[in-house]
Amino acid sequence: MPKLTLKFDNAILGEVPVGSKEVSIGRSPDNALVIDNPAVSHYHARVFNEEGRMMLEDFGSMNGTFVNGQRIKMVMLKPGDRVTVGKHTIVVSDSNDLDGFATVGAGVAKPAAPKINETVMLDTKERREFLKKVAAVGESAQVAPTRVKVATLIVRSGKTDRQEYSLTDKLTVVGKSALATVKLKGWFAPKAAAQINRREDNSYYIGAADKTPSVNGNTITHPTKLSSGDLIAVAGIQMEFVLRD
Amino acid sequence: MSTTAKPMIASALDFAARSDTGRARENNEDSFRIAAELGLFILSDGMGGLDAGEVASKLAVETIYAQCRDAESNPELPYEGERVDGASETSNRLASAIQMANRLVRAAAADEGEIEHSDDGSDGASRPQKGMGATVVALQFFADRVSVAHVGDSRAYRLRSGEFLQLTDDHSLVAQQVREGRMTEAEAEASPLKNVLMRALGVDETVEVEVDEEIAIEGDTYLLCSDGLTRELTDGQIAAILTEMTDAQSAADQLIDLANLAGGGDNITAIVVRVGAKSGGTLGKIGRWITRSGN
Repeated sequence: MPKLTLKFDNAILGEVPVGSKEVSIGRSPDNALVIDNPAVSHYHARVFNEEGRMMLEDFGSMNGTFVNGQRIKMVMLKPGDRVTVGKHTIVVSDSNDLDGFATVGAGVAKPAAPKINETVMLDTKERREFLKKVAAVGESAQVAPTRVKVATLIVRSGKTDRQEYSLTDKLTVVGKSALATVKLKGWFAPKAAAQINRREDNSYYIGAADKTPSVNGNTITHPTKLSSGDLIAVAGIQMEFVLRD
Repeated sequence: MSTTAKPMIASALDFAARSDTGRARENNEDSFRIAAELGLFILSDGMGGLDAGEVASKLAVETIYAQCRDAESNPELPYEGERVDGASETSNRLASAIQMANRLVRAAAADEGEIEHSDDGSDGASRPQKGMGATVVALQFFADRVSVAHVGDSRAYRLRSGEFLQLTDDHSLVAQQVREGRMTEAEAEASPLKNVLMRALGVDETVEVEVDEEIAIEGDTYLLCSDGLTRELTDGQIAAILTEMTDAQSAADQLIDLANLAGGGDNITAIVVRVGAKSGGTLGKIGRWITRSGN
């Protein structure tokens, strides 16, 4: 959870965590962060949470609120920011440095944590928390789990050993090779005409091998993602790619 | 420092590797291991303070090699981690070896952590040393295929008939954001967060190993490299060197030299493997170009 540390010169005067509840800042004793100094207005500013973002708003104070030296009305805060109110400084930090990454999705990238050129690894927990934050900043980051569909190739024309093939393997080869799944017949059939890869996210990509296949009439130039209903033509055969429930 | 590996056996794979400290770092934290008799090529980029990165990457490649070698002679060797659905025995053995490497790197990190914390006598003594870990990318050729396994941001590329293709998706924060359409390639390139890895060896108890299989075709050129190469050179520059190469060793040398010229900001390692092609394109029509049988 982010926190605000109130400092005067180098002395730490207090710390307030920033949760879902807003943190009011001012001279009056009923503020969450009280700064007892004539340069500070009674109700000077507030830090609040807006859709996962930490916002700072100045209440039109006499002497103003500054973030990293700039006078502000309202601004998004991130770990490492220094807020100046009168002669006091409020340092924005985080118990977990990774929270700084939440700014990535918002297009602001100025992390306090990793030094340039030093690789940082996230463990499962950090990764989960991070992804949650990204999801909160942008739209839904995680794709909703969908039912696993069975990918099938249906042969429409040409000589193959079967009419239909279930694509359950990581790699499906179309060709005459002993290891080919879709076995081509005929003396001049290529050993490996094309390949279909099942990727980690269960999407399917078709790529060239000895021949370059076409998908829906277009010759592919790079591995191409297959959608249900796509028509594949290669080495004299035509197949339809179908995703079945 | 520069280490070189020459082919150990004559086969229809022409391959070479080179690893270099680069011009900015003091240590070379990259490691590689080639086992031609297994058709196995492994590259790892280590990370962590002092010599932790070197320890991690070395441990990773040696563990993977030893596990794959043992699996070759002992089909009863237990698997580490879950079986990869729909993948060949070779891919499963490779993934299992990488799981084992993850465990050992993590154990080594815990040992280092103990040394780190032993002075203060705190209860954090058995915690892994934060930051020790490694990436890995490995190829294993079998029959007419090749298994491509990786964790982290070390990459595998393939040049086939003029098409230069990245076979691995980086397990990095920015790469994930690009895949999700949240960031452009250019933004990712400029991001200060491009060093953040979503997966690495030595971090968690188990690791998700990404495994793919490809057909290997005569004339294909495969490249394994650490990010020290891809940070300095564009795909176009790399592809040009591989396209014009006469032999694997000169290609590996040129890649390292050019990356150093471009800045050499990190350790640079490249393994180049050309299928069925000896230098000068004088390959014959060899049907069986691999020394091991399929499975």
